[in-house]
Amino acid sequence: MSVTTLPQPFSVLVVDDEPALRKTIRASLAASGYTVEEAGTGGEAVGAIQRRPFDLVLLDVNMPGMSGVEACRQIRAYAPRMGIIMVTVRDAEEDKVRALEAGADDYVTKPFRFRELIARLGAVLRRTRTDLGAEPGILRAGALKMDLEHHLLWKGSEQIRLSPKEFELLSFLMKSQGVPLTHVNLLRAVWGAEYGDELEYLRTYVRMLRKKIEDDPARPEYIQTEPWVGYRFRDPSDPDQAPRRHDDE
Amino acid sequence: MQRFRMHGWWRTAALCALGLLGTAALTLVAFRLRLGFGVVSFCYLLLLVVQSLSGDFLSSALVSFAAVGCLDYFFTDPLLSFEVMSPFDTLGLVSFLLTGLIITRLVTNVRARTESSRLQQEMLQQLYDLAQRLLALEPDVKTGEQFLEPFLGVFGIRAACLFDAANAEVHIAGSAGESLEKQTGEAFIHGKDYEISGKEFSARCILVSGRTVGAIGFEGLENAQLTAGPLAALVAAHLERRHSFVHASRAAAAAQTESYRTVILDALAHEFKTPLSTIMTAAGALREGGTLGSYHREMAETVESEAARLGRLTSRLIRTARLEREEVKPWMELIDLSSVIADTVDQYSRLSADRSIAVVKECETSEVMADPDLLRLAVSQLLDNACKYSTPGSTVILKISREQDQIAVRVLSDGNPIPSSERGKIFDRFYRGLEGRRLGPGSGLGLFVARKIVLALGGGLDLENPSGTASGTAFRLVLPVPENERDHVATAV
Repeated sequence: MSVTTLPQPFSVLVVDDEPALRKTIRASLAASGYTVEEAGTGGEAVGAIQRRPFDLVLLDVNMPGMSGVEACRQIRAYAPRMGIIMVTVRDAEEDKVRALEAGADDYVTKPFRFRELIARLGAVLRRTRTDLGAEPGILRAGALKMDLEHHLLWKGSEQIRLSPKEFELLSFLMKSQGVPLTHVNLLRAVWGAEYGDELEYLRTYVRMLRKKIEDDPARPEYIQTEPWVGYRFRDPSDPDQAPRRHDDE
Repeated sequence: MQRFRMHGWWRTAALCALGLLGTAALTLVAFRLRLGFGVVSFCYLLLLVVQSLSGDFLSSALVSFAAVGCLDYFFTDPLLSFEVMSPFDTLGLVSFLLTGLIITRLVTNVRARTESSRLQQEMLQQLYDLAQRLLALEPDVKTGEQFLEPFLGVFGIRAACLFDAANAEVHIAGSAGESLEKQTGEAFIHGKDYEISGKEFSARCILVSGRTVGAIGFEGLENAQLTAGPLAALVAAHLERRHSFVHASRAAAAAQTESYRTVILDALAHEFKTPLSTIMTAAGALREGGTLGSYHREMAETVESEAARLGRLTSRLIRTARLEREEVKPWMELIDLSSVIADTVDQYSRLSADRSIAVVKECETSEVMADPDLLRLAVSQLLDNACKYSTPGSTVILKISREQDQIAVRVLSDGNPIPSSERGKIFDRFYRGLEGRRLGPGSGLGLFVARKIVLALGGGLDLENPSGTASGTAFRLVLPVPENERDHVATAV
């Protein structure tokens, strides 16, 4: 991915207790056209956000003092529409779920590649900035086109029949393109507030959806599994929503 | 109760003298007062009771005979003669003698019993004190002098000798005679308890759950018949306690080492990730900055990809360390086994340049229910092994095939076959074969973790007998085909 200079620079707050990483990210993002500020602790981050608004916060989960998750909760309470990406380590799935529950939009896992970071930033910023696409009532992703008003779905020129629940689940996923949704979140949004533990429902529906919309249900392109966390809908034609690479074993 | 320590003949003699003196005094007084036979015999009986209270039967019996003599000589007609005229007097004397002896016997019996129960109580108290002192010792105190010290002084023990068969050591405390060590050894060798009363020596075998684990000898032990047994039991209890302590602390130490190892590994791996992120971000930004020439861009790319590789390695370390100590919790979903394998092989081909990896797919579909991340880890462990132990320049083959209701993956490599003596152990934790140790470092966890994962996924992993070829190794990993896919796949094949 080549660096594109953004027409209107996005402002990013980088929060990490490790100065070397903070400075490197700052310099790298600045070179990519972002305006960047730094904070060394969760408390500093909350203070900085109260002083001026940012488009996005990049927040480390493991910090001494106020934890990243707590900082995320406070920032979210103060700025409901600000993009928040948490930095976690792999194999800490509970951290990821807690971060998303605290209001984070997405997470990246250490060690991450720079282009992956840029891609995640782009996806979250686009979502927080533009919400839905240009056409009202229409969602698009790759070959999929969804008509929200008439409950219709096309893949290319072919119409796909979905049950009402399948439609609801898919539309919820498509509305949150590029960002992860937790199981609890999905179950509550589609089935109702009293749901949350019925993982099997969700799995069954996701499997049925994949059979209907994916070219190869065993290698899904649209509905990605985030192990232990939930699912992420991605637009295969959008390079910013590149699938999670499996080279971080 | 030390005042009664003057046991034996001296005591009896003293008591006799005392009793006879009392008899003489009573006789003198009664004779002067000219008391009658009845009153005098009653007085003698009283004296006898008092005498019997000493608990010494012999002296009491002697005093009763003396009293009969005095009665006969001083108080029956004819006076001052041992002759008895009246048959009633004879009857009186005989019944006095019988009564006296019976009283003496009864009273001394009661007295002796009281004395022996007092002694027993005393002994119990001493044993109890000793047991407490032994318990107060640290359980890791060796069976040396420090352990024998509390025995000295108890029941008059002058010296004690312990033979500990576990490490064939002899410990002596106190001032022991020459034969103590020898006799204790003999007791152990013959498995018999010894008692040599003349030398005040006694030895007992030490039994722990029916097994003789040593022997203990005492010098100067009082009441050896009664006390040696309990003392030996105390020693046995201490040995047993120490044994289980040593055992438990070894197990605890092993567990602690184990947990330190994983904690350190975990911390190290996590500590690695932040600097790695910094390096990768810096290199990535340099490369994407668009200001570098092709040569420098290539360099930046190398830095980034090598740092990423280091990241993968640390991740794998953490995961392996975790899976090794924890239960595997798979996240099952429908996946295409061959695509997971293709991913992993792709990664390995880049890492292991001098061995080529070929994937042979013998079935059309290979959908399984599994956790893709865990499966990738298991397959990479197998590939890792295959690459490590095969000849450089050779080809590692992965064969995917359908076997009834399961999909099998065979990892075939040309390395030296695993000797039959090692075949049973290669999946053990921390086991490293001879070949493995020869060829380089490793944790001995790879196959253990791989099998743990595959079992948690409901499949199996084993080492196949090399068929056809004389050399080479073949690992076979199988995963079940999901229920609802079975018919579909069967028709597709």
